[in-house]
Amino acid sequence: MSKPPPGNFTILYFASASSFTAKNVEFLPAPLPLSKLFATLEERYQGIKEAVLSSCLVTVNLAYVDVPGEDGDDGEEEGKEEEVVIKEGDEVAIIPPVSSG
Amino acid sequence: MAHPTPSSESPQLDALTEEGCYVALTDSPLSIIPIIDRVRSPKAGAIVLFAGTTRDTFAQKPVKELQYTAYRPLALRTMLTIARDIRAAHSLQAIAMVHRLGVCPIGEESILIAVSAPHRQAAWRAGEAALEACKERVEVWKREEFEGEGGVWRANRDGKVGIREDGKGEGGEGGGGD
Repeated sequence: MSKPPPGNFTILYFASASSFTAKNVEFLPAPLPLSKLFATLEERYQGIKEAVLSSCLVTVNLAYVDVPGEDGDDGEEEGKEEEVVIKEGDEVAIIPPVSSG
Repeated sequence: MAHPTPSSESPQLDALTEEGCYVALTDSPLSIIPIIDRVRSPKAGAIVLFAGTTRDTFAQKPVKELQYTAYRPLALRTMLTIARDIRAAHSLQAIAMVHRLGVCPIGEESILIAVSAPHRQAAWRAGEAALEACKERVEVWKREEFEGEGGVWRANRDGKVGIREDGKGEGGEGGGGD
């Protein structure tokens, strides 16, 4: 898999995410707060959030991450963990419900 | 502590091994004897093999073939974690799991799981537990190609809802392949 160009991260689409975007992989500008990921994808692929992303998990560099909800108050409250930011060169993947076997 | 060591015996095979554990993804047809040999041990009184094969119908609709795709590095990592955990939980001698990717014709094996244990009870239970864990967690996706109407991505989680190529939901139950 080729490396993203400077200032970009890699995003991988599998199964339904790949069908919806008609892509397996693309590069997107970094840095990008994880909380903005789904909105960024929705801008590019209208309807993807409801049709696909709502049932998907997300990994960054092969580790699952919690995507913060965007309705709200994340970051406002004290004691919240620092926001995860997708960095240049990261490999992000959209993981639909699995179906091995 | 043993470290997983990547090995690639051919361009189409990705595998990870550590003590008593072997996991692999391959684009080639699966062979039963080699995976049994991977867990064979003089300390084992039982080997249990599970072979998941691909079914020809989904909700009475004829399935032409199945296609599997994977997030290979993550799927291997998850398979190794499952293998390690199941081996420890059931005191297995060894466990080996291999999943086929790409086009899998109807009636052929898509997954093989072999476990060896001193006694049969542990082997039976471990085999089932390993398969269920794989189906729940391994980052592999199955697409059923229907005769004449495109394909559906299947989801093990609910066993019924798939995403059609046009993005519309698709109901039903079961699924081709196990």
